[in-house]
Amino acid sequence: MTKEEAFSQAGKTAVMQNVHGTMTFLQSYPPFNAMEAGHLAWMVEHCQLRFYARGESIIRPQEGAVQDFYVVKQGLIRGERLVPGQETPDTTFEIGVGECFPLAALVGERATRTEHIASEDCFCLTLPRVHFIKLFKLSTVFRDFALRGVSSLLDQVNQQAQTQAAEQLGEQYSLETRLDALATRAPITCQPDTPVREAVKRMHEASVGSIIITDQGLRPQGIFTLRDLRAMVADGGIGLDAAISQVMTGSPFHLSPSHTAFDAAIAMTSRHIAHVCVVRDEVLVGVLSERDLFSLQRVDLVHLARTIRQASDVEALEAMREDIRRLAESMLAHGASSTQITRIITLLNDHTVCRVIELCIEQHGDPAVPFTWLVFGSEGRSEQTLHTDQDNGILFEADSLAQAEQFRTKLLPLADRINHALARCGFTLCKGKIMANNPELCLSRTEWAERFDRFIRTTTPENLLSSSIFFDFRVVWGDASGAHRMFEAVLDKVAGNTLFQNRMAQNALMFRPPIGRFRDFVLARSGAEKDTLDLKTQGLTPFVDGARVLALANGISECNTLERFRQLCDAGVIEPLDAGAYEEAYHFIQLIRMQQHQKQARAGERFSNRIDPDTLNHLDRRILRESFRQAKRLQSSLALRYQL
Amino acid sequence: MNALAWLPRLRAPKLTEEQLERRAALPPAQPFDDTPLHDTRLVVLDLETSGLNVHRDLILSIGAVAIEQGAIHFGEQFERTVFRPNHQVTETVLIHGISPSAIEQGGAAGTTLLDFMEFAGQCVFLAYHAPFDHRMLTRGLRLDLGHKLRHKFVDIAELAPMLCPEAELSRASLDDWAAYFGLNNSQRHNAAADAMITAEIALILLSKARAQGIVTLAQLHTRLGHWRHLRQARRGGL
Repeated sequence: MTKEEAFSQAGKTAVMQNVHGTMTFLQSYPPFNAMEAGHLAWMVEHCQLRFYARGESIIRPQEGAVQDFYVVKQGLIRGERLVPGQETPDTTFEIGVGECFPLAALVGERATRTEHIASEDCFCLTLPRVHFIKLFKLSTVFRDFALRGVSSLLDQVNQQAQTQAAEQLGEQYSLETRLDALATRAPITCQPDTPVREAVKRMHEASVGSIIITDQGLRPQGIFTLRDLRAMVADGGIGLDAAISQVMTGSPFHLSPSHTAFDAAIAMTSRHIAHVCVVRDEVLVGVLSERDLFSLQRVDLVHLARTIRQASDVEALEAMREDIRRLAESMLAHGASSTQITRIITLLNDHTVCRVIELCIEQHGDPAVPFTWLVFGSEGRSEQTLHTDQDNGILFEADSLAQAEQFRTKLLPLADRINHALARCGFTLCKGKIMANNPELCLSRTEWAERFDRFIRTTTPENLLSSSIFFDFRVVWGDASGAHRMFEAVLDKVAGNTLFQNRMAQNALMFRPPIGRFRDFVLARSGAEKDTLDLKTQGLTPFVDGARVLALANGISECNTLERFRQLCDAGVIEPLDAGAYEEAYHFIQLIRMQQHQKQARAGERFSNRIDPDTLNHLDRRILRESFRQAKRLQSSLALRYQL
Repeated sequence: MNALAWLPRLRAPKLTEEQLERRAALPPAQPFDDTPLHDTRLVVLDLETSGLNVHRDLILSIGAVAIEQGAIHFGEQFERTVFRPNHQVTETVLIHGISPSAIEQGGAAGTTLLDFMEFAGQCVFLAYHAPFDHRMLTRGLRLDLGHKLRHKFVDIAELAPMLCPEAELSRASLDDWAAYFGLNNSQRHNAAADAMITAEIALILLSKARAQGIVTLAQLHTRLGHWRHLRQARRGGL
């Protein structure tokens, strides 16, 4: 090496120290942490460092196409958008250290739609557009990030959640797997006139538990399983030489190849079947058994559901709570979303409730009054997690007040028994006494209707609170038609009562998402809850309450929050983009909450919805903040809509 | 070693033809005129020296960061170690951390200074305790290049208390100001990192200057003059 080269080399290394320092900084944040070092170094060498004093505008809509890509090195940036009809601009987002902007505008070669303002003194790394484009071509990681923005971050979080949970189980298996990927073996079939003996022989040879009976064109006509064979032999009425069509179960349940393992699992559980035909354009292409579906032996959804329905006593049900928790954990590991898991938990809880009711009736004796078991609140919305309170009631039909009183006397002891049995199965007794054993919640249809009528007519704070619990309701056991008629009437009344809607909207603004204007998160300042925030009341409740007001006001009888958003979107009440954003945010907060519950359950701690955001990793914290921001947006849109 | 060994070099630094040409082509200094600060090339300078004696000690390394149009350009940084034959290890090695072996690998003083002045271009220099860097650089250029430095210097150690009187940091160090502005840089005390943090402080100060109505170099120069008088008057009064 000549002296000239040597010293230019020495110079380069020294300058590299500053570049290197900046690279180290960037490597703590996505997407830079996933980028190749060479690409990142290239980026930093082409970057500039700029300072923005507090309150200074960084980019504005009126400035035309965006010229630079920005990364916050120090400080906090806020995005402001002027909403028509509002005097002060709305803070639509905050961008903190390690985050970048304005991706969509840069990629779209347009002006920003939001004014970016320094919320405090800030340093930003800026990369001129020409270099941004070069980097975009150079680095796949960067390109993915630039194109997909926050949603690519969400993917990362989901991957993270899955790997974390999978580490505890050590197996990779996705519930999103399509059925054509799962049902790969050629199905065992026969014609309707095949003798039973021949059909069973084929099943035996292929060692499968079912055979599908099809016509000439392979269109499924029926299914015959080992269970059917057992029943047939026990019954003894039909011989083995009879045609299979005499003993098969007609029109078997089927799904298309594009359905997922999750769909199949749900179908098996809710229909109590062990086999699902996979049919493309009416032609049978495969059969999926519950064994194919769950390679895991210990936590088996279908099996669990069946065991619950056949449990001989409450003790058996009690023992199964642990299995439900394990199932939820394995679902999380298998890539189920928070919605899928809440659906499963709700489904299993429904089975448990039904079985508890049946067992209690057996022990207590039939009250001889037909009744319907109603559930309210999160159970009503099908949004249960492992941490569940009881919110339930009884609906029955009575001709007169006197008869209602008489029926109630008969039903209350049974209700009390059910409530306590449920408590043993892990459904905590409701502190607010919203339970069927409460005489005020064991009512005839007329009484319920009067009660609901009162909620809507007189908007006292208590009534509003009650509305927010009781108007999320669902039938779990018993005849559902009376309850549906009752709810139709409620929707009619709400639609015609703007005062009630207004008050409900006001109520929906009560729990504020825990993000401040200038700070990361607003946390409890003292006491045992110091430095924590409540994922349920501060994160989920704004979405749940917001969806409820809008759904009730627009005649939507669905109670599930995400389903409400979807239907509100279909009805044109909210924008599809907003509905999508709310849904993602809600999903994410729920996911964080469920991970926390799993952790607590494993550690034998009490369930709590309070979380210290510092215990989350950087990515989760960032998306959590963004999710809270969506909650805040939903609240502002309610405030605007109802002029609050 | 003879303390007067450098004397002959004072009179006639030996330069090659090429070095003489490069010296002649060096760009002129930027005067304190009506050029807006925003359009001025500002070079933030940090020298590591063999000691604090401006008459005897030598430049060991040069770190510099350029500010143009209100931004630090990462691609435009300068850092070189200067080759010093028979360099004695003194206690300052503990401060600047430049090892004798690094000095051995450094570039020849004349070429390094030419490279640096070419990098600096038509600029105003910014430095923390600028008079020290000013005198060291002036002497270095005279000794090693036979060149007279005409570039202007602005002292960040004056600019900062003038623009931020509320900080009440009158005899503060670079670290004090960095802490005041909430800056952090882990690799301090190498010339490049020091220059970078000084440049970050400079960016903040330029923003404050703009907010206080200081737009041109001349205005900045005048305000600094007033501020110096006022400070002296106050001190005299005490």
